[in-house]
Amino acid sequence: MLKRQSKTKIFFLSLIPFLMLLSGCEFKDIDKDVFVSMIAIDKSSDNDKPYKITLKFYQPTSSYKEAPEPQFSYLTQNGESLSEAIRLMESYIDKEIEFGHSKLIVIGEDLIKAKKSKEILDFLLRRPDIQMISWITVGRPTAEEIVHLVPEGENAAYPAIFNYFDENGTESQYIVTSYLFDFRRRLKEEGIDTVLPIIVIDEEKKHFKVNRALILRNNKEPHELSTLDTGIYNMLTSRAKVADLIIKEEGDYFIARIDSIDSKFKVNVSDTKKITIELEVSLVGYISESKETLQNKDLPYLNKLLEKDANMKFTAFMEEMIKNGYDPLGFRMNYKSHTLHNHRISTEEWNEAYKDAEIHITVKPGLKSTGTIQ
Amino acid sequence: MFATETINWLNEQFKNTNEFIQKNIDYENKHIQLLYMKSLISSDMLQTLIIKPFFEMASVEQFKIYLQALPQFQEVQTKEEIQLEVMNGNVVVVIQNEVYLLDIRLVNNDKPNSTSVETTINGSQLALSDNILTNINIIRSNYHQPSLCVEYFVKGEVNQHKVAIVYDKNKIKSEVLDLIKKKLQKVDKQLITSTNELNNFLNDKRFTLFPQMIMTERPDRIVYNLAGGKVILLVDGDPQSLAAPVVFFDFMTTIEDNYHTFFISLFLKILRYTGLFLSLLLPALYVGVSSFTPEVFRSELALTIAGSRVGVPFSSFVEVLFMLFFMELLLEASIRLPKAVSATATTVGGLILGTAVTEASLASSIMVIIVSAVAISTFVIPVNEMAFSIRVVRLLLILITSFLGLAGLLLGFFSLIMYLVNMSSFGEPYLKLYTSSENKKSSEEKT
Amino acid sequence: MIANIIASVPAILFHFHKEGSVSAIILAIIVGTILITMYTRFFNSFPGMTLPELLKNTTSKWFYKSFVFFLAIVWFVAGLITLVTFTFLLIRFLTPEMPIIQICLTIMIPALFGSLMKTERILYTLEILILIGFPIIVFVFYKAYSSDKLEWAFVKDAALYFNQLPNLHAFSACFYLFLGVANLFIFNRFFTEKQNFNWKNVLFIGLLSTLALFTTYFIPIGFNGLDHIEELVYPWISTSDSLRMDFFLIERVLFVFLILYVGIAFLSIMIHWHVSLEFFNSIFNLEKVKFKGIAIGKLIVILLYVGVSLFFVRKLNEYQLFLFTSLFYDMLIIFFPSMLLLFFFIKRGMKNVKKAK
Repeated sequence: MLKRQSKTKIFFLSLIPFLMLLSGCEFKDIDKDVFVSMIAIDKSSDNDKPYKITLKFYQPTSSYKEAPEPQFSYLTQNGESLSEAIRLMESYIDKEIEFGHSKLIVIGEDLIKAKKSKEILDFLLRRPDIQMISWITVGRPTAEEIVHLVPEGENAAYPAIFNYFDENGTESQYIVTSYLFDFRRRLKEEGIDTVLPIIVIDEEKKHFKVNRALILRNNKEPHELSTLDTGIYNMLTSRAKVADLIIKEEGDYFIARIDSIDSKFKVNVSDTKKITIELEVSLVGYISESKETLQNKDLPYLNKLLEKDANMKFTAFMEEMIKNGYDPLGFRMNYKSHTLHNHRISTEEWNEAYKDAEIHITVKPGLKSTGTIQ
Repeated sequence: MFATETINWLNEQFKNTNEFIQKNIDYENKHIQLLYMKSLISSDMLQTLIIKPFFEMASVEQFKIYLQALPQFQEVQTKEEIQLEVMNGNVVVVIQNEVYLLDIRLVNNDKPNSTSVETTINGSQLALSDNILTNINIIRSNYHQPSLCVEYFVKGEVNQHKVAIVYDKNKIKSEVLDLIKKKLQKVDKQLITSTNELNNFLNDKRFTLFPQMIMTERPDRIVYNLAGGKVILLVDGDPQSLAAPVVFFDFMTTIEDNYHTFFISLFLKILRYTGLFLSLLLPALYVGVSSFTPEVFRSELALTIAGSRVGVPFSSFVEVLFMLFFMELLLEASIRLPKAVSATATTVGGLILGTAVTEASLASSIMVIIVSAVAISTFVIPVNEMAFSIRVVRLLLILITSFLGLAGLLLGFFSLIMYLVNMSSFGEPYLKLYTSSENKKSSEEKT
Repeated sequence: MIANIIASVPAILFHFHKEGSVSAIILAIIVGTILITMYTRFFNSFPGMTLPELLKNTTSKWFYKSFVFFLAIVWFVAGLITLVTFTFLLIRFLTPEMPIIQICLTIMIPALFGSLMKTERILYTLEILILIGFPIIVFVFYKAYSSDKLEWAFVKDAALYFNQLPNLHAFSACFYLFLGVANLFIFNRFFTEKQNFNWKNVLFIGLLSTLALFTTYFIPIGFNGLDHIEELVYPWISTSDSLRMDFFLIERVLFVFLILYVGIAFLSIMIHWHVSLEFFNSIFNLEKVKFKGIAIGKLIVILLYVGVSLFFVRKLNEYQLFLFTSLFYDMLIIFFPSMLLLFFFIKRGMKNVKKAK
């Protein structure tokens, strides 16, 4: 025991000086790092250097209570490729750029329309230090403007725009949250289309507006969803936690606040290559506003109204999607998941058959009460 | 003759001191001689036990029988033994050329102290005393088993202190006992005054970081140790006892774990272990995170750390060492503070280490919080020796992290665990998880 | 077993994800469980003896020496693969600017210190570290399964590829998981009493391995999509990076995962190299090699390990590592079942030895 101890002691002691020769290569204090908060990628006006990257850096303050206004610094650079632009930027700033905390990536609308998503994705994924749980969004008109805006009421602890997406801040039904890993798997997978939120700045240049979405599909133009359609999309994919539906039927006008949404669908392909989609949505909630007084005993009737209205809206949305050949809900994915791979139809056949697909939507309404008053 | 030889020899030995009294008493043709050291014996006992009966007894024969019947009577073998026993407070009675020894020492350190190092909320507050015989008395009266054995040794050539080994014959492993006895024989130092020194001498390796034997002054803890199969060592003049062999988990338990209900003890245990991990890892974690990979923690926390380090002139590693150094100084000094100055010291410590350092931007405010958390968690560990070890290991971990980053911290932590697992305390593995199916022979835990 | 989630096993599996990986998994579970049962039963009948000791007693010297030497190399390579994979991983994700030699040494030195320990102390270390690490593993798996971003549609899609013939490389990769039992060759020294190994234990092992393999293969698919999953070099790293802990100190589960797996890789390297050292020891009697009174026999072998590892760490790139690992696993599936024949031989031989005594 003693010998073994002295043997290992000698072993260690002889290695420590050796290690000291190698050390000191990584030690870098935190005040020599600058953290990137957001990355904005745009199309630049220069044709040789088509990418324009803007980085927004945090400037740490020692006391949040004394200086509630956040401080940021920005850097913009054009480059032939994204990495080249970043390399050049490293020589313009005095500290080391750390991407490990960047949580938001805004892509300019023109760049998306120029079909550069694959290259952007490649850059974002190949670097190991960009988080795969960053949010990807589209900025209108340019990403640089979005990133430069510091909205009213933002405090230095947390950028306001993160709250839109992180499911802890606002939980609106019109905001689509898309993570980088989700973006990647949808882009690479043929069974489901990518949906990205669009950020716009309002007219007074004080706040962000995020209530639209963009559907991307290979070999097709991006399709923009209106506000209502974004809401419906969120509801159909069970991402919205609460949603409001305006029901205007037969003289009644009320708003149903749905707080529990569950949607399931199943895709069947018959032997004649006809696609039928069964979509079942259950909406449970209560009434939050109404023009007339409503009686509690009328709830079944109100439910029927809700069912009819929701069915109409959802069907309209889905039919538009199908007609244009978009598949944001992942019907093909669903089909693949319950058919053996050697019995599946091929991609071209699917794309052909999809345009004539039939969809049956069943809405199960569940209004539980008329609120606090009747 | 034998007696006169002895007396002359003794006088020769003690000629340098004038406390060695030789008394001749003659009365009614009974003749005895008394030899003793004045400062060691209790004059009351001398008077009541020996002198008074001497004058009252009829004959010398009766007196001899009386003396042999006394409980303080001791058998005498050699001159050296007589000398030793005189130094222990015996009186030599020479009757008719026969030499008798009687133990009438004056003991004034036999009151049990009150606990100073290991206090509890409930339970007895009496600790062991300084006198070895009283201690053995206390232990025996708490542990009523006939299998409790006590063996005496005399250690320390100069001060000839008594050392006792106490164990329960039914519960210990014989290899452990043999090992301890063998090591005890090998100790041949000049001076042994306390169990601490004995602790060091019994373990061959002076350079271990972690304590190999546990010291305690509470009788209830000693009793638990005995029932768990440990061997207890006592040294005359020191109220702390040593227990061996010992496992790592003994250092993290207090007696109060057995007083409380299950959930409360569980909660306290979790608290203690969390405190242990915190005090070991937190400063090194700070160095690793702020200087090597700031991406580990969430953005808000990283920004707060970066913000609080604005203006600090040192790098994080120097900052940590600087604050820890002050904290260690404060802890060391507060042991020796006289009562009059203690208030000043707390003010100095609180102000300097707290506010002023942050105001002057010599250290970040996060650092101050970390150092205070570390200081407090170090003392959650119930046994002090372990707390000292933890303080040293913490410094080592900081050093490793400064060179090798977070990976270095993790691997330093694993090396620590391996080092502990590799240690054996008198044949028992130091760090070993005991499952309920195993025979918990050496563990203090009773549940 | 659980350690292999990061090492090349998933990468190999995903390479063949449309060519028979699923059936390979199922087959491997069955064959692997059978193998474990047989190995354990065999060692159960010789409590406290290690394989070199058994071989010494029953086979001829030249066979014994060359065979054990070969085994030592095999174990060393197993540890080496884990070490190199892990060094690459750490360089990529945790400390990109540290020199590769330093990271390699950082992992290697405690592992070497550990492999020098006695066998039972290694088991104690294992217990403690698993006790600390197990809640974290459970937590990561829970987070993965309960995340609402896990699309089960992808998983179902992948599962539907089961009606293909199992692929050899995929099978050998899964099989490697079960070969941890071969460490019993040396660790049997610790089990000096006959252990209870009945059908309940077999079932438990079967279930555990099913769960481990299922998680290894399907969870990354659920998070990353089925097509093009072979593009991910480290599928599990990307998967754990997709998980998010909203309310805890560390937001990216990636780092929790990395920390956890540094621990497990370290344990794995320690065990493999300990077994390898013990094999070398029994051939060359290293404990007797003395130089000025200090037993440095083991030290020579360790220096050899350090040298070879550092050489490979600098020389290999990720693709070579992948190929090398795949080859290694393929070789193992021939090797280990054939050990069963050897066991049979040993069993007969030991009966003769016992009779002779």
